[in-house]
Amino acid sequence: MTSSLLTTPTPPHVLEARRKRWIYGILTVFFGITQILWVGIPVLMAVLWSLVDPQHPWSFPQLFPEKLSWAQWTYVFKYTNIVRALKTSYSVAPLAVLLSFILSLPTAYVLGRKNIPGKKVFMLVVLLPIIMPGMVVALFLSRVFAAFHLTQSFFGLVLAHTLMGIPYMIRVLTTSFEAIPQDIIDAAENLGANTFVKIKDIFLPMVRPGLLAGMVFAFTTSIEEFNLTFVIGTPTFETIPTILYSFLGYNFIRTNASVVALIMMTPNIILLFIVERILKADYLSASLGKV
Amino acid sequence: MDRKKDVSIIHYLMILPGVGFIVLFLGSSIFITVAQSFGLFSVTGVSRFTLLNWKTFWERETIDSVLFSLKMGVLSSMGTLLFAFPIGLFLRKGGAGKRFLASLIKIPLFIPALVAAFLILNIISYHGILNEALLGLRLIQEPLRMLNDKFGWGVVAIQIWKNLPFVLLIVSASLASIRDDIIDAARNLGANNWAILFRIYIPLAMPGILVSMILMFIKAFGDFPITSVAGPTYPPSIALRMRNTATLFQEWDKAAVMGVIIIVTTLIMTWLYSRLAEAVEGGTS
Repeated sequence: MTSSLLTTPTPPHVLEARRKRWIYGILTVFFGITQILWVGIPVLMAVLWSLVDPQHPWSFPQLFPEKLSWAQWTYVFKYTNIVRALKTSYSVAPLAVLLSFILSLPTAYVLGRKNIPGKKVFMLVVLLPIIMPGMVVALFLSRVFAAFHLTQSFFGLVLAHTLMGIPYMIRVLTTSFEAIPQDIIDAAENLGANTFVKIKDIFLPMVRPGLLAGMVFAFTTSIEEFNLTFVIGTPTFETIPTILYSFLGYNFIRTNASVVALIMMTPNIILLFIVERILKADYLSASLGKV
Repeated sequence: MDRKKDVSIIHYLMILPGVGFIVLFLGSSIFITVAQSFGLFSVTGVSRFTLLNWKTFWERETIDSVLFSLKMGVLSSMGTLLFAFPIGLFLRKGGAGKRFLASLIKIPLFIPALVAAFLILNIISYHGILNEALLGLRLIQEPLRMLNDKFGWGVVAIQIWKNLPFVLLIVSASLASIRDDIIDAARNLGANNWAILFRIYIPLAMPGILVSMILMFIKAFGDFPITSVAGPTYPPSIALRMRNTATLFQEWDKAAVMGVIIIVTTLIMTWLYSRLAEAVEGGTS
């Protein structure tokens, strides 16, 4: 024992720590590279497919397409319903966000600030639209909608998308209302603030980040929504997901599908990354996890 | 948080817009599903109470679809956990590059399910990059059929890719809440790495693991678009079969029975989860 200590000046626990740091470093690099491939390759493939020139098809033995061009993009914009679908998608989404915000605000205020009996049940009910299997809800909600002439109608589409947006909006807003310290409200009341002043100077500024997060979640949910739109909206109203579905299903055209897939995912990724930058990660877990 | 309960009619009225909207729309949809499965509010034919529709429950095709969907649910949730748990353990300790890694992993969360299906479909198709790579490495003699395969591996692959960040988010949160003192104490008492994994990390992260597993199962079990695009020709998933029965064959009452099967399975899983979560919490505290 003593001889080994003499020959190695660094004590064993330091060596151990150094070894550990090495292992962690190698693991970080390993996970980093796998993740880059895991996400990067699929996205890169879609980008390449969308740029394949129709005159020079990309087929089996070639590693890369022979010639790249924007031809697929112009084709999709010229000859498919994508422009109409984009218009529908991006006009339904803001309306659904607005409607779910108006409906969620009072609910979230009470759930976040008041300690009412049955609060747990309400919080569970709020999650149901996300948990319930989409196709069942879509199919039989369409029966209800049909009775009120809401199928194949723009307003019906907005209502359906609102249903999917509300859970995110309520969860996120509730978290923000909960986070306001009671002291601030008490202090404001002591100093003579009335309800209007309280709303303007305390509630609104303090829930603004949560409001932004809720809006982005509801917006992207609406852009992605497939089941309800497919049953209630098509064929009168096509959105980007239903167009993509038709390109993936009965008329599978890989190049067109890649263009539509990129059109659909790019704004979503940008929006959510901006929001993630601005906000703390809590909102993400508030809306998705911690059931 | 020792505020007294506020009971006021105004508070309940304020809850109404949000919660009421959900109850109205979901409630009416579920009500119609159940009613139509018993022949009431029928779309086609006469509306009267009957149990005849439920015969479809014993048909070969329905059973095949239910079993297929169950298989997809179990394999997708298990598979995702298999990837998520090691990454979650690794991310638990902060370090250089971890933040970057964490946000990289999150990307598929922001990618819509249909787009994810398409992205993975390019990779695993017959002449896709994965098959070409395996052929190039001489690991296989001819391309593997991974897309629209009989077993449904294509669906599982897409589900794992798309939902990994979602499961990771929940599992990481519960792993992060385990205090380092407990692990140090266990090491002092002579526990090796395996003991720490099986007797500390896994049991203490169990509530998070269960939540993510159940949510994943429900998603994959009731899935329509992904199995429709990447699943086998037969059997279709139960949701796909339900939709075809309703809109292609106009047999809404039969479809309603399948709807009830999906809803009840979802409810059973949710109930099972709450029981398990209680048992786990009772065991560890």
